[in-house]
Amino acid sequence: MAKESKMNREGFLKGAIVSIVTLIGAALGLPALPYLAGPALQKSGDQEWIRLGPTSKVELGQPTLFKFKVKTQSGWIVDEQELSAYVLSNDGREFVALSNVCTHLGCRVRWIDDEKTFFCPCHNAVFDKDGKVAAGPPPRPLDKFEIKVQDNTLYIKGG
Amino acid sequence: MMARLTTWLDERTGFQQVWQAIFLRKIPKVNWFYTLGSATLFVAMNQMITGILLTLYYVPTPDHAYDSVQYITFQLPAGWYIRGLHHWGASAMVVLVVLHMLRVILYGAYKFPREVTWATGVILLLVTIGFGFTGYLLPWDQKAYWATTVGTRIAGAVPFVGDWILRILRGGNDLSAVTLARFFGVHVWVLPSVLLLLMGIHLFLVIRNGISAVPTRKD
Repeated sequence: MAKESKMNREGFLKGAIVSIVTLIGAALGLPALPYLAGPALQKSGDQEWIRLGPTSKVELGQPTLFKFKVKTQSGWIVDEQELSAYVLSNDGREFVALSNVCTHLGCRVRWIDDEKTFFCPCHNAVFDKDGKVAAGPPPRPLDKFEIKVQDNTLYIKGG
Repeated sequence: MMARLTTWLDERTGFQQVWQAIFLRKIPKVNWFYTLGSATLFVAMNQMITGILLTLYYVPTPDHAYDSVQYITFQLPAGWYIRGLHHWGASAMVVLVVLHMLRVILYGAYKFPREVTWATGVILLLVTIGFGFTGYLLPWDQKAYWATTVGTRIAGAVPFVGDWILRILRGGNDLSAVTLARFFGVHVWVLPSVLLLLMGIHLFLVIRNGISAVPTRKD
């Protein structure tokens, strides 16, 4: 630090101006950073359990279609999307929830009861009861949702 | 090292002369009322920076304007702060330009050779009010909507051409998406262009002609 005697009027004013400008610059500039980065830093992963319906609706050994709505928020716009899942259970205790979106190009598959397979009309893809690829172009089995049963009600997550 | 760099740059740009002309110029002995112009300039810069930041999120359409403003205010980090600075800065700017004008009138600083500085200043005052008028509509809430309804109706009270002016301002008979879009366009493109041009001339003249001294009893 310079001794007080060495600080003249001009030096003091220069120092004061630089400090004040720095302070104002920080007061404006620093909040601008989180303001700009805010939406990018928001996590999109925080998903909640979505209620599907009662377990009694699932026919044993046969994929049952459930429809549900998912809300997605981007900025100030809230979108509601209707999605579907096939729930399969062989014993009424263990449940599997399959997405009905074809893993090839995203068309909707549907369960063909006569043939006991999932069929995608876009490119003739066929999946078996457990979602494994039986024929056609899909690169991987049907996606699975996380599933849980609470008070005889099905909940899923993910997708 | 620093000195050599400064010399190198100065030889090629002459920036030190410019710096001297702007910041190290001679001025008469004045008082605090003479800082009102600089204060206005400072708030104007604040408005530019915060205004640019706001446009990054604001959307000027009836179905998004209100929601995007709410998003800025309540969802974005420091959004309330940026919007607050712009909101209060707008009021401060109007107050400051009026006080600045009063100082110039009362000290007779508008006289020869500073008439052109004065004239550009008068237009700058109108531009500032235009900023306030157009900016007030943008949040698209009840206050904004009805204030602009009333404001444009006042313009409509002008004899003979009033109805025509009202329709031009609103872009039709009623306040609509067209009104919001044109108020936004004027607020962020037309007025800033005019402001920057006139501010450039205004400040150039202040530096070229120097500032007036406090008048004495003899003046």
